[in-house]
Amino acid sequence: MKPFDIVIVGGGGAGLYAAMEAMKTNPALNIAVLSKVYPNRSHTSAAQGGANAALANKAKDDSVEMHIFDTIKGSDYLADQDAVDVLCSEAPKIIRELENIGTPWSRMEDNTIAQRPFGGAGRPRCCYCADKTGHTILQTLYEQCLRKGVLFFNEYFALNLSVHGSRSRGLIAMNMKTGKVEAFPAKTVIFATGGYAKMYWNRSSNAAGNTGDGQAIAYRAGIPMKDMEFVQFHPTGLRKSGLLVTEGARGEGGYLINKDGERFMARYAKEKMELGPRDLVSRSIETEILEGRGFDSPAGKYIHLDLRHLGADLIKSRLPQIREMSLNFEGVDPIEEPIPIRPTAHYSMGGIDTDNFGRTVMDGVYAAGECACVSVHGANRLGGNSLLDILVFGRIAGHTAAEEAGKFEPGSISEEELRESVEEIRTRMQPSGHYERYGALREELGQTLALNVGIFRESSLLHKGIQDIAELKERFKKVRVFDSSDVFNTNLQQVLELKNMLDLAETVAVGALAREESRGSHTRIDFPVRDDEKWHKHTLATLVDGKAIPGEKPVTMGRYELQERTY
Amino acid sequence: MTEIIDQHQEGKRDVTFRVFRFNPQVDSKPYFDDYTISAERGITVLRSLNYIKEHVDATLSFRAFCQAGICGSCGMRVNGISKLACTSQVWDELDKCREPGIIRVEPLRSLPMIKDLIVDMDPLVDKMTRYSNWIDSTMPLADMGKKEFLISEEEFQQYDKATDCILCASCVSECSILRANKEYVSPAVLLKSYRMNVDSRDGIHDLRLAELVKDHGVWDCTHCYRCQESCVKSIPIMEAIHAIREDALESRGPRDTSGAKHAEAFMEDIEKKGKLVEATLPIRTNGVVWTLRNLLPMAMKMIVKRRTPPPPPLVKSAKGIKIFRAMFREMTEHVKQDHLKSHKK
Repeated sequence: MKPFDIVIVGGGGAGLYAAMEAMKTNPALNIAVLSKVYPNRSHTSAAQGGANAALANKAKDDSVEMHIFDTIKGSDYLADQDAVDVLCSEAPKIIRELENIGTPWSRMEDNTIAQRPFGGAGRPRCCYCADKTGHTILQTLYEQCLRKGVLFFNEYFALNLSVHGSRSRGLIAMNMKTGKVEAFPAKTVIFATGGYAKMYWNRSSNAAGNTGDGQAIAYRAGIPMKDMEFVQFHPTGLRKSGLLVTEGARGEGGYLINKDGERFMARYAKEKMELGPRDLVSRSIETEILEGRGFDSPAGKYIHLDLRHLGADLIKSRLPQIREMSLNFEGVDPIEEPIPIRPTAHYSMGGIDTDNFGRTVMDGVYAAGECACVSVHGANRLGGNSLLDILVFGRIAGHTAAEEAGKFEPGSISEEELRESVEEIRTRMQPSGHYERYGALREELGQTLALNVGIFRESSLLHKGIQDIAELKERFKKVRVFDSSDVFNTNLQQVLELKNMLDLAETVAVGALAREESRGSHTRIDFPVRDDEKWHKHTLATLVDGKAIPGEKPVTMGRYELQERTY
Repeated sequence: MTEIIDQHQEGKRDVTFRVFRFNPQVDSKPYFDDYTISAERGITVLRSLNYIKEHVDATLSFRAFCQAGICGSCGMRVNGISKLACTSQVWDELDKCREPGIIRVEPLRSLPMIKDLIVDMDPLVDKMTRYSNWIDSTMPLADMGKKEFLISEEEFQQYDKATDCILCASCVSECSILRANKEYVSPAVLLKSYRMNVDSRDGIHDLRLAELVKDHGVWDCTHCYRCQESCVKSIPIMEAIHAIREDALESRGPRDTSGAKHAEAFMEDIEKKGKLVEATLPIRTNGVVWTLRNLLPMAMKMIVKRRTPPPPPLVKSAKGIKIFRAMFREMTEHVKQDHLKSHKK
């Protein structure tokens, strides 16, 4: 295959924006987007809330500076302040650009883009399209990529980077439709594969495919991961699926009830009750369950989100989506019964270590979006900043790669390298005596992570988690692929995804053990306070000889000094 | 509180999933496999398929991603109806089985089969491209990102519902035209075309419309409403198709296709006489040459059998034509209004 100038891995918001921007920067470039799903299926579509930008359409006194401060404070001062500057300064421009090319934003009375208040933001600056913001942004970007004739390789599963010395020569991927392993020699590769929170499996709100493929590939190629221990939990996930019940349910007056029939939030946040900050409510629910005041079921322990007292009319008119979801995914009508819920992992702050231009430490390799860690979210991401992140840094990565592609020689991938990748797959498909089922391992991984590397962390728990992950990795060697066909072998794909999750899980657990403090989403029972002296820094994890080797990196300051984070 | 706990004691029911299987590498033709599992209340069809894949048969192949009804990956036919597996409750489906206790699961129709429940979505993407399913912005490149278009709530309402579409292809699978003609534009692409055409930011309305009125385009729809009935997001797709047709007649006149001309001639007769002038309908729809070439033999036969329709001058206006005309005009106005309303939430 003719070498590409840029190969983009991932067709969500970050990948598509990167493709568009790269084409704009240099139309002569040969660009390909690889995606394991049709791009319009990407998880960007699941973001409901919106994207922050200080347009000042709603609050006339809003400013980029206020957005910067809110983001830094929200990150518990772990975000790099120059990166946050880029994020917030670019925000108004990028939201308008999306508007210009067709995103159907909801509108204010004066016909400008509508904005609404969001958690942790000092002004109403979250731009939205009803409750389908991510979906409409993704559609717009996909439409524009089709318009510009972006070359898509849909349903290709990325396997490995081809690395030669200090630089990449391209990507090796499997065509799901044929099962063929193909080489994508390229001057530059941009990873935009989304988050890794699905490693918590049934305790995650993420799509089944958010398995951190890009991160795992980069990690195995020796590129460091950053701040992997920071995983954000949402308080109200559905018990069976982990799917999100939005904050609106509590906003309208829903109660959280334990098995003794008690509105337990009174013990944790007497004034705000159910409307306390996300991390506090998550910790409270988890405490109830851990102390035996949760309900029990085959699908795990849970507590109740009770909406019945709100009445059928209000539920039908104001919370129709929530009602539909509990009917669809729990078989429970909230008008008649409480909804079974528990906290769910839904965003990964950590990811591939990049600079403000999307560059990784490896020449010709870039990353953007949830799969990267610039870092703009630090220890805790604010609502409305994730869509913004993928747009701003997707575009920047696309631009940088387009500018720099000329610097690198065209790569070539040898037949032997391809054969190695094929061989690795083949060994999994060989029948052997004793074997493991990937489904069981996947569930066990989710369980041990939720239990030992979850909301509450503690030295002995983390040691147990690390040990469990090591054992699961050992057992994974015996996992067998039963489907022997070449065509659309989803069995094989899921096994490879599990491998990616196992590799990354180790970095999450190791990072969580190393960080002896509590900051943002990371709560250590044995180190309950933020320790700026020792831990105001990023953690790194680099794969050396099959082990995650910890490292660190300073936080870029320059705008706001450290303060206590109170709301 | 024991009451509540008891409510959550979940009942279980045995369910057989009769699943369409086809692996092009080994199977010469498709067949069905039966999988019987015990399904608790609240479990979805997709979770059942996941369970079967993990515990019973790892070779069973289907697409699934978000599992929450927003990505559109798991479109398939459950008990004969195209829908999302992830939002379909097993216990609800049990009430719809043709054979008690057996839920049939098949791939979407009208798209090329790949394996088991997986079909090829490329034809749909190709059509989105052919019909320019994107906004070609009128904002000058130099101003991009610098200012907003001002869009009224009224305009937003016109495409609010249409932008709910997740391209799950349930409508594609249910469409009766597509089953006969794979080249037909397809409901989802018509919906998206409509959404672009009513957007004031777009600059290629006429170009898109010119493509839509060609063969296999908007005039081929037969109003069967299957697309709208099966839409997983309850989008009024038929209204969008009507709107494109009205738009085409309004901005291009009845010159495009026989479909457009036929509709125009039909309406003209009804308004003028309250009934059809059948003798000239084919000429007005397809032109003299076509009519002579295609219908002359039939006309001869009709003359022989004395079944020719009366010549135009002999077609008298129907009784009460004046009242009818007033009603006709009122209805036309209503249709216009309804159409505007149906695209508002």
